[in-house]
Amino acid sequence: MRISEQAKQESRARILEKAAELFTGKGFEATTTRDIALAAGLAAGTMFNYFPSKETLAMTMVTEAFRNGTTDFYRRRTGEEDLTEELFLFIASGLRRLRPLRPFLGPVLERSLSPFPRKNVCQEGEAARLNHLEAVQEIIGRHGFTTTPDYVAMTMYWSLYLGILAFWTNDASPNQEETRALIDYSLCVFVQVISGAGTDRGAAHAR
Amino acid sequence: MHAENRKTTEALNMDVLLAALPKESATDPTGRQLAQLINRIANQKVPVNSFSRIWTLGSLQARVTAGYLAYWLRSRFADADKRQQLKSAAHLAAALKLFGTMGYLRGAVMKIGQLLANLPEVVPEEFAEVLSALHFEAPPMHFAMVREVFLDEFGREPEEVFAAFDRQAFAAASLGQVHRARLHSGEEVAVKIQYPGIARTIKADLRNLRLLLQPLCLTIDWQDTLAKLADIERMLLMETDYSQEARFGKLARSAFTAADQVVVPQIYDEYSTARVLTAEYLPGCHINDFLATDPGQGERDHFTHLLTVATYRLYYRLHWLPADPHPGNFIFMADGRLGLIDFGCTLTLSDEEWIFSNVAIQAALDRDLPGLNRAIARACRFDDPDDMEPDRLEVIRSGFYWFMEPWQQEGVFDFGDRNFFLRGIDNVIEATRKGYTRSLPMTIWSNRFTFGGRAFCYKLKGRCEFRKIFLQESAGWQ
Ligand SMILES: Nc1ncnc2c1ncn2[C@@H]1O[C@H](COP(=O)(O)OP(=O)(O)OP(=O)(O)O)[C@@H](O)[C@H]1O
Ligand SMILES: [Mg+2]
Repeated sequence: MRISEQAKQESRARILEKAAELFTGKGFEATTTRDIALAAGLAAGTMFNYFPSKETLAMTMVTEAFRNGTTDFYRRRTGEEDLTEELFLFIASGLRRLRPLRPFLGPVLERSLSPFPRKNVCQEGEAARLNHLEAVQEIIGRHGFTTTPDYVAMTMYWSLYLGILAFWTNDASPNQEETRALIDYSLCVFVQVISGAGTDRGAAHAR
Repeated sequence: MHAENRKTTEALNMDVLLAALPKESATDPTGRQLAQLINRIANQKVPVNSFSRIWTLGSLQARVTAGYLAYWLRSRFADADKRQQLKSAAHLAAALKLFGTMGYLRGAVMKIGQLLANLPEVVPEEFAEVLSALHFEAPPMHFAMVREVFLDEFGREPEEVFAAFDRQAFAAASLGQVHRARLHSGEEVAVKIQYPGIARTIKADLRNLRLLLQPLCLTIDWQDTLAKLADIERMLLMETDYSQEARFGKLARSAFTAADQVVVPQIYDEYSTARVLTAEYLPGCHINDFLATDPGQGERDHFTHLLTVATYRLYYRLHWLPADPHPGNFIFMADGRLGLIDFGCTLTLSDEEWIFSNVAIQAALDRDLPGLNRAIARACRFDDPDDMEPDRLEVIRSGFYWFMEPWQQEGVFDFGDRNFFLRGIDNVIEATRKGYTRSLPMTIWSNRFTFGGRAFCYKLKGRCEFRKIFLQESAGWQ
């Protein structure tokens, strides 16, 4: 029993590894589940027991990367960060773990994280979103911001975050450093809104 | 109440701007047009508190700087007819708007500002102060951003790379910021970290600027402007490569011994990359703090001597023009040594430029007028002195004579002499006003080198035996 559980874990890990190689090599769209099963030395039917679809497979990798990123974030957080800086640290830690998957992430994220209502919601994608937002809410709460209704703040945050992800998957600058500037900029905007600092409707700039 | 305050501030800003900006006697004698243009652009809404906050034209000092840039651009089409002038004014506004809205090219504008800060007679005293303060404005990278740069560059966090690392930067540079740290082996260091994406932005901004200026190509010496812009781009991009700066720093360091009392910080290669530069921390102060201690003439002369030795050592031995003589790059150390930092903007003369430069100097020293005229024609990109308007030749030549005065005087030369300094400034103003700006790109840097250094010594009210130093430093190296 224990051996078969271990064997199961091994197959699962092998599938993930081979899939990542194939996705990176031929691209997400061009890779078929058959290709993956073949590379992992499994029958296509067996593979479906582990991952019902290509999308689930890819999102499992993403979820794992995010989970590791969150762990990194908690380890790296010093407690001296202000809200913007802490959110930056959180996002940057996640992206760093996601980086190896970047070459094939565009279509994966587009399908799994789309904010629009869909027939088939990707369970892994939804779980990733909820986990991410939960962490964000914890961070915001820690800094004592409460003025904006949660669903507004979270929807805004998520829109910004999806924008950042989209830019990042396409960012040709070295180490995606342009994304870094974008994150900082976006977070400043977000924090300004939820902290109520923006309530003068820009009066500070009026002529 | 609120609005009223703002209005008064705005009016005040206008007054100060008017006082600070250069005036164009023909088209804008009061300078009001220029000031309004700058203010209009500056008042465009920009997000506060953002990553790009220090690059906005929101602050008065930035406006003054932009004003000078505008003035420079305008001087390029002073001779154009009315219709062309209007057209160019529109383009000027567009070009300035570009500065006001995006990009790190404002890092370059800031550098112009720093250069002006060296010219207290051009910019009123109080502006010289703010302009030089541009350098020390709050740095925009928070620590989490710095940590990401470290993970990319070293694969480790700053606290792992160093035994201790200050979260807060102690100085802002034009393209980065500087943190203090301590090596595991105990040495105190200064770690300069570059802002993200700067090289690409410089390229993009200059491309945009060129496009914007394109319509002016018929009214001004377009090729000349293009060549200069290309050179500025080349130098700015060079500054984004800290490994290049590290190489320059090491070469410079090897040119001085302890007896020289000039020190260039040691570079630590293991902790340096193209984006991060780690150098020995030099304790001391900048010129303003030094002057605040009310130093005696002896001390002033001492540092003027060191500065002169330092620059001409680099010129004669390494064929360098340290083209960024910003006051922040010199450190007055308590033990009487002069610290030289920042070799990011160092022009290495090509063999041809080096020979040319010395031919010109020699012609002036030998009072060889035909030879000097030929050199001047070449610097101004004419084939022959006879092709130049006599007045142009005259104005440029008297500028060069001014440059050569210290070289010819036996004994002590007083760089604090107000008359001497003003004559140099007046010459530059005259040349600019008359549109005699066509020149080899190299002259941008030699002018910065000369005026930066002289303004620094003027501010210092220092003296030195310039001729003796030049003879010593050039002996055997020419
Ligand atoms: N080794 C050092 N020791 C002490 N202070 C330093 C050192 N290096 C840098 N600094 C401080 O940091 C400031 C900026 O550094 P530096 O001049 O190297 O930056 P930069 O990017 O070249 O800026 P700029 O081109 O505007 O001069 C200096 O003016 C100085 O105050
Ligand atoms: Mg400097």
